[in-house]
Amino acid sequence: MDEFDENKSKQLRPGLWATVNERYPGSMITKSDFVPLAKLKKPLPESRLTFVSTAGVQPKNSLPFDTVHPVGDYTFRRVPSKSKPEDLEIHQLKYPTVGAERDLNVIFPIERLQELAEEKIIGSLSPNFFSFIGYNMNPEMLEEKLAKDIAEAVEAEGSDVALLAPA
Amino acid sequence: MQRAIEQRGIPTVSITVALDVTEHIKPPRAVFVPFMMGHHFGVPFHKQLQRRIILEALDFLTTAQKSGEVKMLPFKWAEARREAIEIERKYGLRIDQSLTKL
Repeated sequence: MDEFDENKSKQLRPGLWATVNERYPGSMITKSDFVPLAKLKKPLPESRLTFVSTAGVQPKNSLPFDTVHPVGDYTFRRVPSKSKPEDLEIHQLKYPTVGAERDLNVIFPIERLQELAEEKIIGSLSPNFFSFIGYNMNPEMLEEKLAKDIAEAVEAEGSDVALLAPA
Repeated sequence: MQRAIEQRGIPTVSITVALDVTEHIKPPRAVFVPFMMGHHFGVPFHKQLQRRIILEALDFLTTAQKSGEVKMLPFKWAEARREAIEIERKYGLRIDQSLTKL
């Protein structure tokens, strides 16, 4: 277990899981099993990539996430992968946006992904990326509704690989 | 979330800044960066760093050996912040005071 502790000390905010679970009992998920790894069907330069974010990034004029609902917001927004950062805004309360306010790419690297697709390092981007907020206090709802809805949408867009950034 | 996508046969990789949360959730593949929450891809205007983090994560799609593996990426927050300040000076961007204090 030495390695585990050493890794833990490398993060800036250790004990996050415990502190959140202390404040909102039962809200944090613990799994004991591992999901079998899916294999890449084709090399990255031929694959369609999608991006899934919990950062509460959404197109301007879309229905804002309900950031003050006591149990959370279990909806998601589609963010067109061709969007420019100025087309997007953030609705969330749970992580510092000091960097994202100046350059959205620090949490939602849409321009970097567009560049990688243009350079054909990534085959293509899915028409939409997917975004929701991390404040969700009911893990069953998160797993049974939101995770399924997004997984379905990711598949429907013909994504071959998915990059995720849980904020 | 990530597990649900992987279960549909789509390979996934996540970027995490909270190692203990990741260890509880056991996503199929994750790369860890020791950065501040909300700054998974680094610091503002540091395109090279943002790009490298994405590429490191995507590389792990093919190099991960077993489910639940977390790869530690060789980045340092202090270094990223220093580089951010240099970039902002170089391009004459307004230097964010909060960044110099972090």
